[in-house]
Amino acid sequence: MSKQGGKGGAAAGKARKPAKPGADEKREDALQAVILADSFQDRFKPFTLETPRCLLPLVNVPVIEYTLEFLASNGVQEVFIYCGAHSEKVEQYIQESSRWNPNSIISPFSSLEFIRVSDANSIGDFLRDLDKRSIIAGDFILVHGDIVSNIQLDAALAKHRARREANRDACMTIVLRSVGEQPHRAAKARGITPVFVVDPTTGRCLQYEETHPLQREHYVNLDPAVFTHGEFEIRTDLIDCGIDICTPDVLALWSESFDYELPRKNFLHGVLKDWELNGKMLYAEILDNGYAARASNLQMYDCISKDVLERWTLPFVPDSNLIHGQTYRRVKGGSYAEDHVVVERGAKVTQSAVGRGTTVKTGSLISGSVIGRRCKIGKDVRIENSYIWDYAVIGDGASVVHSVIAGSVVVGANCRIPEGSLISFNVHIDDRIQLPSKPPARISALTDDRQPAKSDVSLVGNGGKGALYQVAADDEESDDENGIKRDPAILQSSLIYSLEGLNLSTSSISTLAFEDDYDSDDGISVAGSFQGNAFGDTRDRLSSFASDDALKPDSFHNDAVNGLVDALRADNNADFDSAKLEFMGLRLANNASDSAMRRAIAVAFVRRAAELMKPEHGGLEPTKAAEKALTAKNGAVKFIKEVAVGGEEVAQQAEFGLALQKALSGVRNLEAGRAGALLAAMLQQLYSLDVLEEDGILAWWADKRAADSEEMNKLREKCRVLVEWLENADEEESSEEEDDEDEDDDEDDD
Amino acid sequence: MAPSQASYAPSLDNLIKSFNSQPLEASIESLIFLLKRRQVKGDECARATAHILRQVVAKSKWHDVDQLLSRVQSAGSRLVRAAPLEPVIGNIVRRVLGLIRDEASEDRNNADDVTSEAASDIQTLGPSAPPPLPRPVPVPIRPGPSAISAGMQVSKSMFNLLSVADPGDSPATGASTPLSQAQPASVHALRSEVMDGIEEILDEINQADDQIAGFSDIQIHPGDYVLAYQPTRSVERFLVKAASKRRFTVIIACLDSPNSGAAEPPYATLRKKLNTAGVNTINLVSNGLMAYIPRVNKVIFGAKAVYQNGGLLVDSGCCIAAQAAHEHLKPVIVLCPVYKFCPEDPSDEVSRGELGTPSSYVSYANGPGVDALEVENTVTDYIPPELVDVYLTNLGPQTRHHLASILADHYKTEDIGFSLQLGEP
Repeated sequence: MSKQGGKGGAAAGKARKPAKPGADEKREDALQAVILADSFQDRFKPFTLETPRCLLPLVNVPVIEYTLEFLASNGVQEVFIYCGAHSEKVEQYIQESSRWNPNSIISPFSSLEFIRVSDANSIGDFLRDLDKRSIIAGDFILVHGDIVSNIQLDAALAKHRARREANRDACMTIVLRSVGEQPHRAAKARGITPVFVVDPTTGRCLQYEETHPLQREHYVNLDPAVFTHGEFEIRTDLIDCGIDICTPDVLALWSESFDYELPRKNFLHGVLKDWELNGKMLYAEILDNGYAARASNLQMYDCISKDVLERWTLPFVPDSNLIHGQTYRRVKGGSYAEDHVVVERGAKVTQSAVGRGTTVKTGSLISGSVIGRRCKIGKDVRIENSYIWDYAVIGDGASVVHSVIAGSVVVGANCRIPEGSLISFNVHIDDRIQLPSKPPARISALTDDRQPAKSDVSLVGNGGKGALYQVAADDEESDDENGIKRDPAILQSSLIYSLEGLNLSTSSISTLAFEDDYDSDDGISVAGSFQGNAFGDTRDRLSSFASDDALKPDSFHNDAVNGLVDALRADNNADFDSAKLEFMGLRLANNASDSAMRRAIAVAFVRRAAELMKPEHGGLEPTKAAEKALTAKNGAVKFIKEVAVGGEEVAQQAEFGLALQKALSGVRNLEAGRAGALLAAMLQQLYSLDVLEEDGILAWWADKRAADSEEMNKLREKCRVLVEWLENADEEESSEEEDDEDEDDDEDDD
Repeated sequence: MAPSQASYAPSLDNLIKSFNSQPLEASIESLIFLLKRRQVKGDECARATAHILRQVVAKSKWHDVDQLLSRVQSAGSRLVRAAPLEPVIGNIVRRVLGLIRDEASEDRNNADDVTSEAASDIQTLGPSAPPPLPRPVPVPIRPGPSAISAGMQVSKSMFNLLSVADPGDSPATGASTPLSQAQPASVHALRSEVMDGIEEILDEINQADDQIAGFSDIQIHPGDYVLAYQPTRSVERFLVKAASKRRFTVIIACLDSPNSGAAEPPYATLRKKLNTAGVNTINLVSNGLMAYIPRVNKVIFGAKAVYQNGGLLVDSGCCIAAQAAHEHLKPVIVLCPVYKFCPEDPSDEVSRGELGTPSSYVSYANGPGVDALEVENTVTDYIPPELVDVYLTNLGPQTRHHLASILADHYKTEDIGFSLQLGEP
């Protein structure tokens, strides 16, 4: 930090070639940025089947150009791009671009690298990967690949740096734009409303929540800790366009939280909630001017396109011609046209942008629209508020209203394309077709798995090509949600925002139910959880919003067991430590009791052992299965000893025995006899591994709860041999035998 | 711990600092994007153009004058296209082109025939005199210290507006130079001469404001009420200079911008300076302007560019002030350094005005109301010539009848249409 000299900053701002002498020492000053070019959402489908979202044209400029130009205008020197889907296309685009190609001398960045992550499923995976690479030297800007903004970050960067130097824990500054409650057009992403709780004096962000119209409760629970800060504001009037100024500590936080996926909903919410654990402070920089928005869904795409045409985004307007070779000029009617645009007499183009080589025949009316390059618009066509990409052909007399028509689409003569229609690449629509208006059609030439779709003649006509695009339903999700889709994403998946046909709940603040929930099994109360509703409701909230503070211990149990079983199943020789870490994290997050942990661990190991006994997993004998389940992983035994048993005391060991027994009695598809044999084998294995001692096992044997049901009794009986042997061994007190066992242990451990 | 200083945003100063560390093409391209992103605008454009053309002359490869001209033309036209509403860029490019032609013709004259030298002095005024191509054969030239010639030529010719035909005037220095030089040396010499010439253009740009301010005591009389509409930096300097000699009253008119949000009232520093010099100031938002006009003695504002018909490109709002003054027969004084004179007519786009962002007038928070509106925020105005009375240049006050001769002095006819010569990129 202290190396950032005054002159160095300015000079390093322009060091182009890393190979240049002196570039190394300047590197520390170079501003770095990370672009997340995939959001793992499918709100632009069917268009994103063929083209990555960041290359879709927004006012005839690929979206990523706005992002890169935004970074360049803020003097960013090193850029790292994370691509998910279609990464090869994005890379190719950058390689072919004379401006952004990192080898080109005119590139404003000294370096631009693509980072490929093959198994990433979320933004969280990207950032955890970034942490591992340790390429981030200092403060960096984290943005999405679909941002359109003319904000100058210098002031925010300076404030961030000052805060960080004053306090090392101030690790992130979120740049927000305040827009008032009823912003111009739909400047905010509708559907999901971010709620920031901010300390107005310091700008520190205290809590983050999201609300959306589909949730059952229309209120947000404030963390009691917020009230200790004295003054705070709760703001819903902020555009959050995902510009974060981060220190590398932020990446470390991501790494610590293996299950965070989204930068806001998971990460920001979680980090703020766990402030007492991680001690990190996050700040919000709230700006009153400048433009910032993310083309994160079609509604925002629509809205930003309008803003670009109306010059809210200056200097990112068509007649700035930011892309090489563009030649937009303002023409009459408040429109922009490139060279070689032919608008015949009698045609009228207002408030629109028209790309090079497009012809508009006489009698056509185009308003509030964006037309790509080399499109052919026929006679007497009416196009309103629509987006027509390159090489599209619109036949005579057609009308297109508030729709998106992708590249190389042919719309026949006298067609009617009603509001909200999405027509993807290469679709042909025959003459005189009227597309349905409710719901608006989404037509694609490809199916969801990128195979050519079978043309739907009733939809696109005899000479047409393309079919209704069906979103492949995610089976797991629909199971969870009892058939009612309550994902707010549905609000954003169409071009037109509408709550029509959706089942909105009408809760008000008066229905707020204070009712402490007790978990009957473990007797823990979940502090501060307001759950007056049924269990299904809780699941609902889980799936729609990661309010993991409101989790029931049940979900802890499920998550923990699944996590452990997965770790045990894993084929690699990875240490058990990461699973342990994960488990402990879950435990902390849920404030789980010792008994809950014990139960979860017992169930996990028993489940694995039982699995190993099944024919499809090798059909091992109970003894072998028990041995493999317990000892296959380094550190698993230690884990059981430390976490599950948790001490030398006899009572705790007995509890664990009981937990194992209960777990086995709960295993399905395992006959009682074999289950008993497995229990005996596991107990013996644990005994020989020094996890359980004779006294512990005997105490379990003596415990009444171990024999309180028939099933439990059956299991218990199978262990009689073991217990008797133990009793004998106890009596003999043969030190030699114990020594032998110790040696056996060592061999086992190796 | 180091103070948190470094501003990351690229700027013209950073760019100029980086000239030595990066290739020419990168510098040009950076400037183009600074222009496109409006991170260099207004008065900075002239300086930026001169700097970058100096780099073009210094760094690009050329072996004769034609190559040099085409290098400068192509770089220049790219800059012009990047910012079509900054005509100053084109002016500077034309000036540099003219400078190169001058230097080259001097050299050639020396080589061909020393005696014919005088005849070519007024080359620029004859439209029928394209400079002959330099021969690829070794041309002996004058390597002399002609540093003065380009700059001097400008100012000298300005003072001889009405006697342009005076043959002994400009390149008097050429006569005494040795004649035999080899071609590489000629290129070398030409390069350094042209670069010196560009330095002088830069000096001229930097000094123009001060020179204009030097005329302030002539223009402003004691007891005057002067309306300064949205004073630019040169107008501020002009007023402050005048304040040191005269007692008068300044009415500062500015736009009432709802979103400015600045803590200080506009032009606070200017008012402070004027007040310390004993000059009264009155602040005025533009809709109160008409009421004050009868009281005002003269209206002053700065121009972004002056076209050959005498029309002005100005910041938006000035046109209202000029029109108001015209109605009341008050003189309108426009401060415009000579480098802002464009040898062309205003284009369609210019007369329609550049559009800015609507956010300076309406806010996002205005919500649904704004959705229904079309907000056009013109940031430039075009003022027709009949509204302007005095063009106060760094060479003295002019009327529009003299503009043609100023243009003729500064630009060569063959360069006037240079930006049209090059087609698509």
